[in-house]
Amino acid sequence: MQSKSVYKIPNGKLLKIFLDYDNENKLINNISITGDFFAYPEESIDIMEKKLKDTLLTRENLLEKINSVIKRYKIEFIGLDAEGLVEGILRCLK
Amino acid sequence: MNEQWRLLKTEDNSAFNNMAIDRAVLVASSKGKVPPTVRFYTWKPPAISIGYFQSLNEEVDLDACKNLGVEYVRRITGGGAVFHDKELTYSIVISDSNPKVPKNVLESYRRICGAVIKGLKHLWIESKYAPINDIIVNNKKISGSAQTRKLKTVLQHGTVLMDVDVDKMFMLLKVPNEKIKDKLIADVKQRVTSIKHVSGNNVSFNDAADAMKTGFEEEFGIELVNGSLTNMEIDLTKKFERECFSTNEWNYRR
Repeated sequence: MQSKSVYKIPNGKLLKIFLDYDNENKLINNISITGDFFAYPEESIDIMEKKLKDTLLTRENLLEKINSVIKRYKIEFIGLDAEGLVEGILRCLK
Repeated sequence: MNEQWRLLKTEDNSAFNNMAIDRAVLVASSKGKVPPTVRFYTWKPPAISIGYFQSLNEEVDLDACKNLGVEYVRRITGGGAVFHDKELTYSIVISDSNPKVPKNVLESYRRICGAVIKGLKHLWIESKYAPINDIIVNNKKISGSAQTRKLKTVLQHGTVLMDVDVDKMFMLLKVPNEKIKDKLIADVKQRVTSIKHVSGNNVSFNDAADAMKTGFEEEFGIELVNGSLTNMEIDLTKKFERECFSTNEWNYRR
């Protein structure tokens, strides 16, 4: 199932998520994280997208996975944060 | 004697060329081949640049670009879509170990924007920094910037609006909700300004560049010396233009 969300991060930038997911199992097939935010290093968003594949679409699971990728790859966001990213992804389900 | 940095002025380049030059200077700087560099430039034809993480199809009306003769390119920096028309664009490339630039990204935005603010002062315009990456005059945006850090080098580029045509901008940029497009245009007209609107004068590119040069010199306590691209940078520019910025693979990657 394909879906899109547009979410303004509180005090941040405009996040646009394109999500392809399995509606039965609620697993991510593919995700594209786009928007006018900043992330350092920039390539970390490609890694984040790959690591999110097959993640269960629950708030807890997403937050845990995203935070672990941020920590491991020392990602610095400006205008975006882990909670905002989770919210943007979950809004694709509505 | 003050530290000397290089000043480049390159008017009227294509979108692919402009983005390739910034990247070429970044690579040359990372190899220690060139001093810290400030460049002032313009775009011909006018162009839209989108942020590294943006989707080209989502942000830009490609048919309108074609009809109006406007180019488009993806930047290596994050941030939003910008219509580059009547403006002075600046870029600064400097090693991330140079003590003149704060290690912290947000603090370095403030510092570099400080140079633009001092430059605007020389055009009799009082402005201030508006985090994350804007400069405002009377609460209206006159400048926006974007920064990347690669190869232990900082690249920040940004725009200083000389004049602005919001209606044309919205012919080229897509909006999330077409139903409220008119209201959005009216809002943006309230929130964006330019050197021409504030000062009431048409300021030439050279006069604006002179003011910005002084602003950078004052902010960083350096002397900007006129220079040109090295042969290595010219070769790298051609390579990046050909292999990256002009390709669909790059521009449509999101």
